[in-house]
Amino acid sequence: MPEQTSGRVALGAGGTVPAIEHCDTTAKWFMISSVSYFFIVGIIALTIAAKFCWPSLLGSVQYLTYGRLRPLHVNGMLFGWLLPADMALTFFIVPRLCAVKLYSEKLGVATAVLWNIIVLGAVVTLPLGMNQGLEYAELPMGLDILVVIAWLMFSYNIFATIFARKYEAMYVSLWYIMGTLVWTAFVYLTGNFAVLFATGTNQANLNWMYVHNAVGLIFTPVGLAIAYYYIPKSSNTPIYSHRLSMIGFWALAFVYVWTGAHHMIHGPISQWLQTISIAFSVMLLIPVWAAVYNFFATMKGQWHQLRESVPLKFLMSGVVFYLLTCFQGPMHSLRSVNAIVSKTDWIPGHAHMALLGAFSFFAIAGIYFTLPRLFQRKLFSEVLANWSYWFLMIGGLGFFVTLWLGGFWQGWQWNNPAIPFIDTVKALQPIWLVRFFSGVLMFAGIVSFVYNVMATILGQARDEAQTV
Amino acid sequence: MLRKADTSATWAIAFSTVFFFIGGLLTTVAPPMIDKTWSKPFENNDPSKGPTGKLVNYTPQQLKGRAIYVREGCWYCHTQQTRTLLSDTIRSGWKGVRSPVSTPDEFVYDYPHMFGTKRTGPDLSRVGGKYDTQWHRTHFRNPRDLVQGSIMPPFPWIVEDKEEFESLVAYIQTLGRAKNWRPDNDYEK
Repeated sequence: MPEQTSGRVALGAGGTVPAIEHCDTTAKWFMISSVSYFFIVGIIALTIAAKFCWPSLLGSVQYLTYGRLRPLHVNGMLFGWLLPADMALTFFIVPRLCAVKLYSEKLGVATAVLWNIIVLGAVVTLPLGMNQGLEYAELPMGLDILVVIAWLMFSYNIFATIFARKYEAMYVSLWYIMGTLVWTAFVYLTGNFAVLFATGTNQANLNWMYVHNAVGLIFTPVGLAIAYYYIPKSSNTPIYSHRLSMIGFWALAFVYVWTGAHHMIHGPISQWLQTISIAFSVMLLIPVWAAVYNFFATMKGQWHQLRESVPLKFLMSGVVFYLLTCFQGPMHSLRSVNAIVSKTDWIPGHAHMALLGAFSFFAIAGIYFTLPRLFQRKLFSEVLANWSYWFLMIGGLGFFVTLWLGGFWQGWQWNNPAIPFIDTVKALQPIWLVRFFSGVLMFAGIVSFVYNVMATILGQARDEAQTV
Repeated sequence: MLRKADTSATWAIAFSTVFFFIGGLLTTVAPPMIDKTWSKPFENNDPSKGPTGKLVNYTPQQLKGRAIYVREGCWYCHTQQTRTLLSDTIRSGWKGVRSPVSTPDEFVYDYPHMFGTKRTGPDLSRVGGKYDTQWHRTHFRNPRDLVQGSIMPPFPWIVEDKEEFESLVAYIQTLGRAKNWRPDNDYEK
């Protein structure tokens, strides 16, 4: 793909390019698939949350134990919902930022078909217990290979589009998307293939490098690409600073990959490697605060728009959750804090704030904004969209805050060896009950979001949609 | 120079890749070359240097049991690491004797590793030899028959399959046994 610079519109030259008709078939495919899996995997999520309260639930079915369903929940949300949702939005954003058509819709649709095969493969193999035993990398080898092929197809399509672009300067979202394409490839290869050549601590180190960067170098950059595109778009305000977005991007590119070993603080891994990972974890505050400041400064004087716009509500709440989760992360890596919160229920609280509170909120906002433009229909119901926000927001907060409090308390109890372990389990029962009911609220949010999307696509126009 | 990445996709890709590989190689490839304990199985015959013992590889039966541990996702709720925390060494201890902390050389034959990230149930890094086969049979059939308030799921289909059950128990009994640290070596078989 040689980069053609001729005929390109330079930054600030005042030139424009003719409007083009985008086809968007691929974006539509990915969007419908991801939204469907969001609903299906939401049921799994509720089931495993219920198992904390009623441990014998479905206890006689070996395919539906906690140990079989948890990887399905994690992989389903990561690779069934969030990543394809991000890919759908990438397929929408990139041609528009480049002012060209997508390189190949045929290749894109083929990628979407392959992606659905992978997700359905996971739904079959994980309950059967075909689990490779490495967190986030549970999928059997055959599916891992398909993921790599699908990623190469996706990357080729996007890169070819970017190389054919009409604008010379690239908006920040494009760098983040290119970063995602490159880093995902290497991070995924490390976590699913390189690990197979190592054992024990060495393998764990590779595994955590993957687990950490699956969030840090896959979902973070693509999530920020989406936020950088949709915050200015939905508020109709230009981004505050191009330079600040560059600082954030290159700091992220350099710092993130060093931090994998902070998953084993106090554990059986070299102390000096723990210290390196702690130092770089604290440095993560730089790229995070650069991005968050940029988003807040963009919204200066525009906050009133949140009242009317569901996408902006999701986006800016997502930014706040991103700020919080990325403040927790560096703090957890400090040895003293880690001694309390590590391995406790605080950790799922933290992980859910990153993947649901920040990155899923960005993706939902992107879908709410894009959907009417993709299908050229009015959103089925603005009122329902608002409800979906409040369900997810209140359910999410209930979930996060309960698990932090419970996890912190649990960590204190563990650090007092006079308390028998089983008493620390019994103490958490009310916490898990509140978590389950927060999960019910979140699921209500998912259902109202998914129903709204599907009803819009199927074009059941209601009067309400016109009047609100 | 990073300015170039503003208008050139090739530069942006090149810099992203280089930045990734600096940290990537230094934190994954370099450490096992620097710290040899990651790959050298534990062996110590000198009591003045800490607990004695030798890490031996798993038998085929123990490996079969380990595969069941992986398949059932036991590792989502049970860690296998006694961390460098006083409370961990006491909780992993036995009859008032503190357990030694876990070191990388005790896990050289672990494939996949089972260190875990979440401790919903107790840590299992030193559980080997603490409970006998009959205890495990009852416990796997229904954990709440032995431990009131436990939220571990029942696993009757493992208990009913003699070979699976015996393999799993054989694996569990190996956990943390490379280091001989218990007084009088009072391990259950």
